[in-house]
Amino acid sequence: MTYAYLFKYIIIGDTGVGKSCLLLQFTDKRFQPVHDLTIGVEFGARMVNIDGKQIKLQIWDTAGQESFRSITRSYYRGAAGALLVYDITRRETFNHLTSWLEDARQHSSSNMVIMLIGNKSDLESRRDVKREEGEAFAREHGLIFMETSAKTACNVEEAFINTAKEIYRKIQQGLFDVHNEANGIKIGPQQCISTSVGPSASQRSSSEIGSNSGCC
Amino acid sequence: GGGCGGSDLPLRFPYGRPEFLGLSQDEVECSADHIARPILILKETRRLPWATGYAEVINAGKSTHNEDQASCEVLTVKKKAGAITSTPNRNSTKRRSSLPNGEGLQLKENAESEGVSCHYWSLFDGHAGSGAAVVASRLLQHHITEQLQDIVEILKNSAVLPPTCLGEEPETTPANSRTLTRAASLRSGVGAPGSPSTPPTRFFTEKKIPHECLVIGALESAFKEMDLQIERERSSYNISGGCTALIVVCLLGKLYVANAGDSRAIIIRNGEIIPMSSEFTPETERQRLQYLAFMQPHLLGNEFTHLEFPRRVQRKELGKKMLYRDFNMTGWAYKTIEDDDLKFPLIYGEGKKARVMATIGVTRGLGDHDLKVHDSNIYIKPFLSSAPEVRVYDLSKYEHGADDVLILATDGLWDVLSNEEVAEAITQFLPNCDPDDPHRYTLAAQDLVMRARGVLKDRGWRISNDRLGSGDDISVYVIPLIHGNKLS
Repeated sequence: MTYAYLFKYIIIGDTGVGKSCLLLQFTDKRFQPVHDLTIGVEFGARMVNIDGKQIKLQIWDTAGQESFRSITRSYYRGAAGALLVYDITRRETFNHLTSWLEDARQHSSSNMVIMLIGNKSDLESRRDVKREEGEAFAREHGLIFMETSAKTACNVEEAFINTAKEIYRKIQQGLFDVHNEANGIKIGPQQCISTSVGPSASQRSSSEIGSNSGCC
Repeated sequence: GGGCGGSDLPLRFPYGRPEFLGLSQDEVECSADHIARPILILKETRRLPWATGYAEVINAGKSTHNEDQASCEVLTVKKKAGAITSTPNRNSTKRRSSLPNGEGLQLKENAESEGVSCHYWSLFDGHAGSGAAVVASRLLQHHITEQLQDIVEILKNSAVLPPTCLGEEPETTPANSRTLTRAASLRSGVGAPGSPSTPPTRFFTEKKIPHECLVIGALESAFKEMDLQIERERSSYNISGGCTALIVVCLLGKLYVANAGDSRAIIIRNGEIIPMSSEFTPETERQRLQYLAFMQPHLLGNEFTHLEFPRRVQRKELGKKMLYRDFNMTGWAYKTIEDDDLKFPLIYGEGKKARVMATIGVTRGLGDHDLKVHDSNIYIKPFLSSAPEVRVYDLSKYEHGADDVLILATDGLWDVLSNEEVAEAITQFLPNCDPDDPHRYTLAAQDLVMRARGVLKDRGWRISNDRLGSGDDISVYVIPLIHGNKLS
């Protein structure tokens, strides 16, 4: 399966906010209520279609625990996009955003697109962080913002795809040097023989471009 | 690197990461990131025998692929159908019952159909391509199983020393005097040969080969067979490069650590370091290499001298006396410089930079059958040996705690961390982990890889005290020994 570009993403945020579940929902379209703690880094990949271009997303899912912070920090380099996730039912995960953002800004390329995600929007009754607070934080720090539910899949597609759109827009504006792999972008192999992409990724050359589904 | 240089032949096995990591093609692609260098660990859903921990990281760009490989499994060693047995005259019940340990034989007969399980860990560090390392990681265990199959019945019968000659009575003396003579022999030859009460002289001059030496021999043979298979199959497959090999086998309560190359195994027991291997490099094997070149000078193709000098000899120094050493020396002496001494030295460079014929920095391993000195027809292989050094560790002799471990790692770790630093890291890390956490040894392995890789700063990968981190592939096993004691 050939692609025009490959974007590298990293998912960060406190432990238990649903990073691995977001990834699983996006790559496998399923939800696993009980998920093992991520103790290192895990990977996922999927093809998406932006503006008629096939784009491969390579996603790094990191450990949120404090004890793995120094390892996680070392993975920001070479990421074109970051999903910074908090849990709308646990305020402390929102309070820690500043420190995550500091890490991200310090260890990544300055053009990295950051998507702020308030996850677990299905748990409205236990909401602890208002949607407006998320929006305000995003506005203040120049981030894109969405609330998602890895459980119901609400806005999960959109979160990943909108991040890709923003990266793609920056490429077209010439803000990214696509020839420097340290920016987390690779130009696809020309007439690539389909050996390098696994079936799980190639099956889903999704045509869905983020629609504004107002489910959250 | 890369491992796809110029050959039209198919790969013997596709490139991948160790099978036990269970990575998809996409994950393998992600792992090959030379910029962020992700540390791969055993997934939460996967378990290795003995709760073994494992972590690895790719190099900083010296080759496209991670050229380290690993495999870990439980092998079942069963007597081959139709194999020669150690018990002579199996059909003669009369003779069998006349042996002193008839009871043991009965037991043995019953157990014979069951195999012996054998734990196996392996680590390979490839060079000049990943082919040989991938092949060895898939096939060496089969050679080991095959070698052990031939001797498994002898090994199980631990009460009787291995017979010197299969199909023969262990001794020619009458059966009932056997225990006595053995006892006598243990007292190191009490009784003069030829005196009426002593058995024939031949008994005293026969070497007693303990069981573990048969296992050592089996492992040595397996390495050789593996190397021969690579040599044979390279006419039909593209098996690029060569690799070092470090393996551990746990069989009948003992650990056998076999090493060919510059990977390293150490045991950390109660904070104490017990080295379980030594490295084979141009420096440590200088005398063997020099001797081979001295005996077979044609191997040097008239381009190299087998003598070692403290530095390159210059033409203007002809006739002067300079320090040198030959294969028979560990010290140095002076010799008059001749024309031949101006040739490039067989071994040149110091430490990690030492090379055989300016080509290779390890002197034992598998593969490399086509490796030649650059721009010449001089083969390196005759100087490389596939023979491992095997060390034995008797697990039953110690009561191991949860923090007593065997560490296996490729040179990526040991180039930047000393045994002491590794032991210190382990003894800091493990006691802070829940002893029941199934991931604790994998987390310890991840911690070691992180300490050796370091973090990328403006001036490259850096570890503690601003030292340079390892830009090499790094692979680490942390094997808890407490599980060895749990085996019966």
